[in-house]
Amino acid sequence: MFSFFKKKSTSYTAQIEPGGIEVKVQSGKNLLTAALEAGINWPYKCRVGSCGTCKCKILEGKISPEIDFGYVLDFNELNDGYALACQTALKTDIKVKVKLKDK
Amino acid sequence: MKTFYVNARYLIVPLMTIATILGLLIGNTFAWLGVILFGINTIIDTLTKNIHLRADFDKNGNSYGIKKLQYAVMYFMLPTFILLQVVLAWRLFQYTSFIPFETMSFLGVSYQNGISGFNLIGSVLSAGLWAGLGIIYGHELSHNRKEGFLVSRLIMALSGASHFTYAHVYNHHLDLGHEDDPATAPRGRNVYSHAWLSHAGQSQYSYDLERDKLKRQNKSFFSLSNKWIAGYLYSLPSILLFVWAGGVFGILALIIVWAISNFLLEALNFMGHYGLIREKGKPVEHRHSWDNDNLFTSWFFIEIGRQGDHHVRGETYFWELDDVDAPNYGIGYFSLFVLTLIPSLFRKFTEKLLDDWDQNKATDGEREIANQFKKISVS
Repeated sequence: MFSFFKKKSTSYTAQIEPGGIEVKVQSGKNLLTAALEAGINWPYKCRVGSCGTCKCKILEGKISPEIDFGYVLDFNELNDGYALACQTALKTDIKVKVKLKDK
Repeated sequence: MKTFYVNARYLIVPLMTIATILGLLIGNTFAWLGVILFGINTIIDTLTKNIHLRADFDKNGNSYGIKKLQYAVMYFMLPTFILLQVVLAWRLFQYTSFIPFETMSFLGVSYQNGISGFNLIGSVLSAGLWAGLGIIYGHELSHNRKEGFLVSRLIMALSGASHFTYAHVYNHHLDLGHEDDPATAPRGRNVYSHAWLSHAGQSQYSYDLERDKLKRQNKSFFSLSNKWIAGYLYSLPSILLFVWAGGVFGILALIIVWAISNFLLEALNFMGHYGLIREKGKPVEHRHSWDNDNLFTSWFFIEIGRQGDHHVRGETYFWELDDVDAPNYGIGYFSLFVLTLIPSLFRKFTEKLLDDWDQNKATDGEREIANQFKKISVS
């Protein structure tokens, strides 16, 4: 009955550096959630884009910020391609750099 | 069938808001319909206080909730709440213009043209209560994505509270349970004080946030990029509408509508975290929020009562939030709201719950802060 509203599921791949681990990020999911679900020890705290703990640097590919990063990241970080993983949807496959937590 | 059930159960507020609007349009004592519905909901909520359900997922772990449908409903609520204000303004205009009472008909439905002072009071109260319930959409959309964020701001602006959207995400979610969060009510505070302090504190936070952002961007505070100012400008059409409808009398009516709707917003903040404590810098965990998740509260308030899960997984859609064994009042929001209106009763009700929290859920550091409250006889 509601099939009209259902969206075809697409996914992109995030290659996490250093290490080159690959994570599938389905449409509708953000980078942090996908990484955590894949068992990756990505640092995070608030998961709503307010603390900056999940900050990462996009090395290649395109993302879609889901909120304005400008309240948390400074001007230089924004210019250098930093993003908040908890508010990042993917528009293409990406390569991303992040300092993972020690297990 | 399960998909229909899971998605349709969140339509209570949209349907009742439309009923409230129709009540105002039909006039006469139907203008009180919004108030009556609020009362009936309180009874249903109290009667269903012991029914608690979990979130629904299929055997593959996928939610039955349909994002596009739920978002369409939330976006639809913006014009619905605008219509509620327009209809109230029309009734105000009728009252201040001394339009004579007359039964008229539109598309075969009869309504009363003109409105008495008594029924105008009913209209204002009905509109205030249901505008206040709009915050559940303003809240949900504040966490979600681009145009949803703007819709959240516009819905909140209808209550003069557009600052909420930024303060909620950047302040409340970050500083929850700590004195830096104006939306967290410390032990001993009553809902009446909290409403003022939380509202002003969140607006102040939003002001500071914009000031600091614009400074970093080398822009003037009086810039088009200032979201704090823009938020209040979004409320300007409401003000102009009510001035047109009733002059000073119209402004008075709008102040009452805004006071009620903001009181409901802050009452939800009050109930969500009253007395719970978190040390600054420590992670937000399930124990830092009160859950209100009986059946009617969950469906009516689109799971906003699953605060424990929401504050730990803030990116999660409301239909996927679940019971996470957070502290639980054991009653729904409507019933609890009645208790908050009588501060002595509310404190008595929460005393044992907070003692239990201190003994069984708090960390040593949190317990130490709780003991400081007890030393000054606040529980």
